[in-house]
Parts: sequence; structure tokens; C-alpha cells
Amino acid sequence: MKSADVQEEIRELNLAYLMLAQQLVREDREIAMFRLGIGADVADLISGLTTAQIVRLSSQQMMLCRVRFDDSALLGMLTGEGRDAATASLHAAIIAAGRPVETLA
Amino acid sequence: MRNKSVLAEAEDIQRAVEMIRLGARMQMLESETRLSRERLLKLYKEVRGVSPPKGMLPFSTDWFITWQPNVHSSLFMSFYRFMKDTAQLPDLDAILKAFRLYLDHIEAEDMEEVLSLTRAWTLVRFFDADLLQQATCTCCGGNYVAHAYDPTHEYVCGLCNMPSRAGKGRRSRRIATDRNALV
Repeated sequence: MKSADVQEEIRELNLAYLMLAQQLVREDREIAMFRLGIGADVADLISGLTTAQIVRLSSQQMMLCRVRFDDSALLGMLTGEGRDAATASLHAAIIAAGRPVETLA
Repeated sequence: MRNKSVLAEAEDIQRAVEMIRLGARMQMLESETRLSRERLLKLYKEVRGVSPPKGMLPFSTDWFITWQPNVHSSLFMSFYRFMKDTAQLPDLDAILKAFRLYLDHIEAEDMEEVLSLTRAWTLVRFFDADLLQQATCTCCGGNYVAHAYDPTHEYVCGLCNMPSRAGKGRRSRRIATDRNALV
């Protein structure tokens, strides 16, 4: 993959992420906080971004969202290892819901 | 009890309609809104088209400990704790939002709804009354619903240590064959 392509892909993903996140937060703040794994301060920040700010923020060279579940047991469950898919996903959801969220330092 | 403010009454009605749509029973509606029983009955019939079910609510904590209900109520409880602690919502809003998340999860996974809104509400009341507590599984680290005052230092959850026939009832087999037929 060429570096210009990579940058373009990252920019597109950042833009899509920010737009989705903002839409979710504006629709239902608390449920969005859960789905995105963010705290109240980050949620307010995202919902207050203007379109120009979103465009500028997404054209960074780095990804704005990061891997949320950096835990091998949890990743195994989320990818469906275990006796059956339905219970594995329930198990993963129970553990994931107890995880701390991203907040502003 | 009569409502003084029309605005507060309108809010209560909206709340009650939302709860009825999600499957609340009369006991929950009466305790969470300030509307009279007659108005709630009328509202219920208008929203659902039938009279509300009669009789007492289930009052045993044991239901929440059996395998399948335990998994589902633990899932609801972790959503509820998020809504209470992280999002800092008041009790009823936290219950309703957590229950929405629970329904979304169930729907996405094509499972049957084990926990009803009234059960979920009862669960929270049992927690408030210190009849149930959350126990941390020593194997996976998740939080699960358990009897209060049970020893929890060696607690292992029903998902890490699954009983041999758990989730293999007649109904789940039918769902599994349906799924295979689709593939």
C-alpha cells in the first residue's frame, strides 16, 4: 500500500468515526457513551465539534480511535471462541461493560 | 395523590407510555410515576390494546441465580452499573437505558428475551434492599449477580464453569437448526 493511500484511508476512517460518534452522542448521550466507550467529558467534546473542526481533526496522520479491548481472553470471546457463539458474546459483553472508559486526563 | 403541575403530569404520561411499550407491569408503573391507578389502566389499554396482567410480581431472588436468568440479569446489571456510575443517570432512566441496551444485544444475537423490564426493575430493587450483590468471577473478572452475604472470594461464574446441559434446551436446539438451515 502506498503511503498516500494509507493517509487517505486513515482520513476517511477518522471522518466516518467522528461523524458517527457525533450522531450517536446527539441522539442518546448515555447509550453513545456506552457504545463508544467514552466518558461524559469526551462525549460533550465530540458533540460540540463543528464540521470544520471534524474535517481538520480527521485529516491527521494517525487514527483517532484505538483498540478498546486489549485483553487476549476478551478478544478470544469477541471473535467467537468458546462453546457457542451466543454465550461467548454474552460473556464478552458482561466483561466489556465493566471496563473503564476513555476520559480526558 | 393528585398531580398539581400539568407539565409534570405530561412527563409522567410520556414515561409511563415508554415503560408500557417496553413491557412494564402495573406495579412498576404505579411505583415509578405519580399517575393514578385509573389513568394508568386506561393508558395501558390504549397502548397495548389489552388489560394489564393481574396478580403479584415474582418475589423470589432465586430466579436470578439459575443459570440462564443469571447470565441475562448479569448482563443487564453491568449495563445498569455503567448508566449509574459512569453516565450518572437517576435510577429509572438508568433502568430504561440499560434495558434498551439489553434488548439491542438480544436482538443482535438472535436470542430470546429472558429478562423482562419488570424483572429488571425487580432486580434493581433487590440490589437496593441488599438481597442480591455483584460477585466478581475469579476466572474472567466479570461481575455477576449473586445472593447477598454468600462468600465470593472463590466465586466462579456460570459462563467460565458452564453446567453440562446449560443452553441446550429444546428451544435453543430449534434456534440452532434454524440457523444452520440459513447457512
